Amino acid sequence: MDARLRRVNKEIADCKNDKASKITIDLIDDNPFHLIGAFDGPEGTPYEGGRFQVDIVIPENYPFQPVKMKFITKVYHPNVSSASGAICLDILKDAWSPVLTLKSTLISLQSLLCSPEPRDPQDAEVAKHYMTSRSSFEDTARYWTMVYAGGPGDKSGAGKAGKSGERDEIAMAGLDKAHVAQFEALGFERAKVIDVLRRLNYRGANVANINDDRIVEELLK
Amino acid sequence: MKVHIKHWHAIAQWRWDIGKNDDDDDGEGDVCGICRVPFEGCCPSCKMPGDDCPLIWGECTHVFHMHCLLQWIGTAASKQQCPMDRRPWVTAERKVDAGNPR
Repeated sequence: MDARLRRVNKEIADCKNDKASKITIDLIDDNPFHLIGAFDGPEGTPYEGGRFQVDIVIPENYPFQPVKMKFITKVYHPNVSSASGAICLDILKDAWSPVLTLKSTLISLQSLLCSPEPRDPQDAEVAKHYMTSRSSFEDTARYWTMVYAGGPGDKSGAGKAGKSGERDEIAMAGLDKAHVAQFEALGFERAKVIDVLRRLNYRGANVANINDDRIVEELLK
Repeated sequence: MKVHIKHWHAIAQWRWDIGKNDDDDDGEGDVCGICRVPFEGCCPSCKMPGDDCPLIWGECTHVFHMHCLLQWIGTAASKQQCPMDRRPWVTAERKVDAGNPR
């Protein structure tokens, strides 16, 4: 049996024996080198209460080459691509070491959720949101956790997929309802308004830096 | 009563002296951090444990199967660092204490 397979089997078994960490590693089909990992969102963060799934691919030269991981569950975080789930974390790249394991790497992802690094972003728009208004960023991250990861959401229940059964696209984009309404009233489509305001990072203190003409100009493009 | 011993079989067990007592076993056992096989077993590229698949010690006190460590140090990604603490890998001079075998 090859060394890689032996080590991976051992790692999966070790993870099954450890119930305390609530980290799971499961096979997708009979390929032992393509797995799904999962962990709980860390307490005291906007990801609390969510369960996050990670796609794991074990390369040919493992453990001498880093394992490939990306989020399957959508995450609103400066170091995770909101579109693809790609992760920016040093140990998945040049700081990998062969003594790291699937479990320890998943724990590192869990702690990445606790401590975003907006100066080295994977998703520049999310990173800008984080740096402009932390509380608005956290609301959005919490909303994504509720929508995609089964989190409890806002205590007030605001933005919950209520009567319409639809997602609140404004909350998804981390924008203010009043701002979107203001430009919708000018006759622009809601989706377009959301797209432009998100791109311009129309949030918090930044609102004062962007004048309405600039936005209308973008909306007319 | 007199006992006459007709046959006896000696059984010996060997272990690498990794400078660690059984008491401070961290539950993970003494496995090579790279291949996760016990030190007394051999690295994945060998068939027989023993002198042909020795251990290697760093000056940082970390221990690995020699073949595992050399394979890692041979990659560019290793930057010639110990996998445990990322200090530059320096193989420790280690003399077998002949007078006091364990």
